[in-house]
Amino acid sequence: MSREIVIDPVTRIEGHSKITIQLDDRGEVVDAHFHVTQFRGFERITQGRPVHEMPAIMARICGICPVSHLIASAKAVDDILAVEPPPTGKDLRRVINLGQIVQSNALSFFHLSAPDLLFGFDADPAKRNVIAMARENPALAKDGIALRKWGQQIIEWIGGKRIHPTGIVPGGMAEPLTAEVRDRILGGVPDAIAAVERAIAWYKTDMMRWEEEAATFGNFRTAFMGLVDRHGNVDHYDGWLRVIDADGKFLADKVDPHNFNDYIGEAVEPWSYLKSTYWKAMGYPDGIYRVGPLARVNIADRMGTPRADEELEKFRWRVGRVAGSSFHYHYARLIDTLHSIEKIEEILRGPDILSKHVRSRAEVNRLEGIGVSEAPRGTLMHHYKVDENGIVQWANLVIATGHNNMAMNRAVLQVARHHIKGDRLEEPMLNRVEAVIRCYDPCLSCSTHALGEMALRIQLLGPDGTVLSDLAR
Amino acid sequence: MPGDDPLIGAAAGGDAGSPEAARPGPAEAASGALVVCYGNPLRGDDALGWHVSELLAADPRLGGATVIWRHQLTPDLAADIKDASLVILVDVNVVDEPGVVSLRRVDAGGSEAGGSEAATDSAGSAGPSSHHVAPAELMALARELWGASPAVYVVSAGAETLEIGDRLSPAVEAALPAVVDAVASIVTRRGGPDPFGLRQGRLRP
Repeated sequence: MSREIVIDPVTRIEGHSKITIQLDDRGEVVDAHFHVTQFRGFERITQGRPVHEMPAIMARICGICPVSHLIASAKAVDDILAVEPPPTGKDLRRVINLGQIVQSNALSFFHLSAPDLLFGFDADPAKRNVIAMARENPALAKDGIALRKWGQQIIEWIGGKRIHPTGIVPGGMAEPLTAEVRDRILGGVPDAIAAVERAIAWYKTDMMRWEEEAATFGNFRTAFMGLVDRHGNVDHYDGWLRVIDADGKFLADKVDPHNFNDYIGEAVEPWSYLKSTYWKAMGYPDGIYRVGPLARVNIADRMGTPRADEELEKFRWRVGRVAGSSFHYHYARLIDTLHSIEKIEEILRGPDILSKHVRSRAEVNRLEGIGVSEAPRGTLMHHYKVDENGIVQWANLVIATGHNNMAMNRAVLQVARHHIKGDRLEEPMLNRVEAVIRCYDPCLSCSTHALGEMALRIQLLGPDGTVLSDLAR
Repeated sequence: MPGDDPLIGAAAGGDAGSPEAARPGPAEAASGALVVCYGNPLRGDDALGWHVSELLAADPRLGGATVIWRHQLTPDLAADIKDASLVILVDVNVVDEPGVVSLRRVDAGGSEAGGSEAATDSAGSAGPSSHHVAPAELMALARELWGASPAVYVVSAGAETLEIGDRLSPAVEAALPAVVDAVASIVTRRGGPDPFGLRQGRLRP
């Protein structure tokens, strides 16, 4: 007799998802699915819109990472206009994208995951929240708030608004940078670096407590994908696609992102609105790969900035050249944040950063365009087709969470297999199923963006639908 | 503790000061006051906060105050609150009749008179989250991290609809002047014999 555990919802507001865990008649886990049950449809609703509107529309996909969609969308429209933004325009896009990564990574680590790490996965969920964290470790809580605020201020100061900024436009940026804003941002760099370095030191000291989680939280062999520059350093804005296997061997390198469709396929399962992308050469579902901070530190030769490179060396000394456990997303996210802060400083100290020439202008010169960049959660791809008047005919988005979909499903299965024994549903299992999803920080739901008392319900059902066990909070 | 955190910096500015016998002038009264208006401009009456922030920004009675607008209250606002001596939160609620303007005080312990904000604000709350926190939770966070204990008021109006739309309902639109006046009254009467000059509860049925 097979039975099914359903966690529904794993979400609160804009993200809607649930988890089902299938048991056999001995109570052993045989399968698990992470279902995304909401449908957004931006690909459809943008059909018929002038292509110049695309960045502003696409930014509305997400209130947490609007800059990421703005960047990828603006690059896709640049491609359709066949226009290259001026160097300073590109640099300002890089800075605002890195500001986005700092604030989103800070949100993920300090606000979402740190309470789990601080209090433990067996702690009362009512205790695992930012206020309890402030009481227990105020320095850590302050650092998280400060880092997120600094990242948001960068977005607001350069982009015009902290949510859905308007400064990123086709062809570059709407406005040049002023010396006053540059200096204001630079003024926060030393404290931002100190804050993230304190968090890294704390994490490294504490990470030994989580050996069991590191061994079972999505710890498996997959490929990894991300963007690197011509030196093999992490590149969050441009560069080439690099894909490595679980041993670090190149599956592909120096791939022009415009050709991503030659390498990546998309599959649809009837149980989820979230597409599953896969490495075509390995087929579906074997072509599983991961993106995001863990992938970035795995694929790159170096981060490309001094402090982050030093931490990357220590990371590799601790967990190996290619880290396989999704638990290490946390550690990688901090290194990614450190690198982003250093890079912001490097770019802002450039001699031409105050140049007034930040935008190139053109009309439609191509009927198809692709924009690829690194979002906080991983590689983001926007692909548009327009008619000769620049009216959007077709759009496709390949988002980081889609790249990670197969890995998230497999991670849930691994955690469930490790922690579910028999019919009993206990809080620690539920905590860990949530926590493994948080490692990926999927941008689809408040479930993974929520702390403390989540609207979760898990049910163990018999074949006739009878509730055998029920756990809710 | 202004200036003790250069990364965050002082948001509201000014000196917290202590109540004085003589009523201060508008700019002096507003110094150290932080007004946080919040809500989603594309969710019907939830746009109240956005509209009020626009009106307050041009109101001379708020001359020395800091007025900001946010989609919702988030934990990072604790860093803005740490330097304020007075915090006024402006939102809609789903308890009062449409357009009814209410005033509630959040005490220094983080609890709220008139019931839990979690049950009454437009977004609701199921505990502190990264997306939003209730006013009492936000104050508790500022108190835990920085020892901040400003006087905190919530000025709100009953909502008629929170469905998708970029228009206020007639009742809430008509309440805009009363909400603005309530905020201005709290700021300008601070320091007088009746420091806030307003009784908690319904201001305009």
